[in-house]
Amino acid sequence: MAAMIRFAGISVNFGDGAGLRDIDLDVPEGALCVLVGTSGAGKSTLMRLVNRLVVPSAGTVTLAGKDIATRDPVELRRGIGYAIQSVGLFPHRTVAENIAIIPALLGWEKRRITERTDALMTMLQLDPALAGRYPHALSGGQAQRVGLARALAADPAVLLMDEPFGAVDPIVRRALRRELAAIHRETGKTILLVTHDAEEALELATLLVVMREGRILAQGSPLELTAMAADPFVRELLGGAGLPLRRLDLLHVRDAVRPGEPEAMAPEIDADASQLDALRLMLEHGATSLVVTEAGSAVGALRFADLDGRGRT
Amino acid sequence: MRTLPVQPVLAALALLGLLGFGWLAVAPNRLVSGTALSSFAALHFWVAAVALLLVAAVPISPRRPALACAALLAALGVALWASGAAAPPLLEGMPPAARVMAGPGFWLFLLTLLLMLTEAARPAAALRRTMPLVLLAMLAALWFGGALDALSLAVEYRARAPQLQDALLRHMLLSAAALALALVLFVPLGWWGFRASRAEAVLGTTLGLVQVVPALALFGALMPLLGALLRAVPGLREAGLETIGATPALIATALYAGLPLWRGIVVGLGAAPRDLVEAAEGMGMTSRRIDWELRVPLGLPIFLASLRVATVQCIGLMTLGGLVGAGGLGAIVFEGMAQFATDLILLGALPVILLALFVDGVLRLVEGRLARWRQ
Repeated sequence: MAAMIRFAGISVNFGDGAGLRDIDLDVPEGALCVLVGTSGAGKSTLMRLVNRLVVPSAGTVTLAGKDIATRDPVELRRGIGYAIQSVGLFPHRTVAENIAIIPALLGWEKRRITERTDALMTMLQLDPALAGRYPHALSGGQAQRVGLARALAADPAVLLMDEPFGAVDPIVRRALRRELAAIHRETGKTILLVTHDAEEALELATLLVVMREGRILAQGSPLELTAMAADPFVRELLGGAGLPLRRLDLLHVRDAVRPGEPEAMAPEIDADASQLDALRLMLEHGATSLVVTEAGSAVGALRFADLDGRGRT
Repeated sequence: MRTLPVQPVLAALALLGLLGFGWLAVAPNRLVSGTALSSFAALHFWVAAVALLLVAAVPISPRRPALACAALLAALGVALWASGAAAPPLLEGMPPAARVMAGPGFWLFLLTLLLMLTEAARPAAALRRTMPLVLLAMLAALWFGGALDALSLAVEYRARAPQLQDALLRHMLLSAAALALALVLFVPLGWWGFRASRAEAVLGTTLGLVQVVPALALFGALMPLLGALLRAVPGLREAGLETIGATPALIATALYAGLPLWRGIVVGLGAAPRDLVEAAEGMGMTSRRIDWELRVPLGLPIFLASLRVATVQCIGLMTLGGLVGAGGLGAIVFEGMAQFATDLILLGALPVILLALFVDGVLRLVEGRLARWRQ
């Protein structure tokens, strides 16, 4: 697929040693690219290059094949969804008015704005009664949803999200994450998301980019980056000692199943379950193999030795 | 932490005024201070009623604010009415120029009672709004009902009513003009100061220096300065500028009002949180839109507060305009000072205070109504 966002030879110099050096990155159209790293690694800076909140000292950023340096920044930004950690909702505007900011900037008709606002509130499971409320009346999770709705309002092809779920508790965070993954699947938007949460990064990313001190340390799919061969810093960042378990969570039972008879009395597991669930089941029952089922009927067996693809080479 | 027992202290002061100092004074004319009269001699048994209501209000004040306000209003009403009623018998057999004046005890009592009323109304929001209205209605009823007619201030007022009304109107116009001048000068400068930090430093220091100059000196110094300017540029004189009169008063007052206005604009424009401004920028708002749709609405409470301070300052300072020939209520105050006529001074000063309090109250009300989006 063509690159929706391409960073080529990017350096950003802030004059204080921070910044970015020699960044080359292609984000394919429809990808959910997660930038992960410790704080000060340059994740947000890299993301903010895309809507020209940061200007590179060297290199070019192209969006849908066009060098963004040649585009009017205001017009460019109106075409990109932008959601940030502190939510950035305007406190003196109602929820509906906040969601409608970009459509209003683009001069949409009133009716179209209302329809779009209603649709987004439904999509993000926001109570319609909240439309006329001011942001101070919202819970953390509701505010994040409104922030996301606002970023999606003008139906942009690209969405930039800087720690979008940073300010909510873990349970709401997980729910919002699932919703974002669903929105990504349904809309096929290209999303660039910054987080320092490795679990979030592994769960959401189709393209995972690990950054450290202004450089890209590794990029690839979560499975590639969690493989044994990866860089020690990357391994530490993505989970350290817990990394094998996180990797199992990314793998499906379906991919390790082999035909044949399992041991007698083995517990059953669905082919769509994760291999981490399979491991949990084995530990629970003291079993070394499971019956893999699909739509209720057995399709094969999963052995302990086959977890994480170790059975096949 | 224990809070200071405000009401008992104020009540003690009010009682001191009621019982300890001269309540009224009888003088053969308006220029001498006359012989003092205690409240017992002036009000007879009504003193007991006033003192009782006053003392009773203290213990009920924290729990029953409305009842406490009612008791205090009653104490004030009885004291004023009884003083007014005491005057005619005292004047019997005196020459026509004789007057019954309010004494120091009366003023101390009045002042502390008003403070007690404010304090009593504080716990209840509804009371804070209604109490001043009830107080005004009561005072108006006493005044227009003629209950205070025999007191010297009312006599002085009747002698000067048309002059006082003109002065009040002129005072309001001059204050409004000075405020308008300050707005025209310092709002754009505030905007500039917000944009350029060097301008902010220079302007802030300059306006701070103006505040340091004593007001009286500034009003006085402007006259020779304006004189020199008008000699150098005669065209200005034809444009209506003068060395005495409204011109120096307007300029001096506007300069003083400059600092709160300017500071309010600079601080108000900077009140929008940084990440909010950045979010707006990231969504493709132009900086002009960010100014008007984010900075201005978020700074509005601060703008209004600074406007209120500047307005009250204009009303108060314009009194000094009386010194440079601008007219207004200050002219009456200074005329009273020249004559050593206390009643005339009060006749000029009281409307200034009332006007300032009234404008302050109205603008506070507007401020409270405005920010619907805040908690």
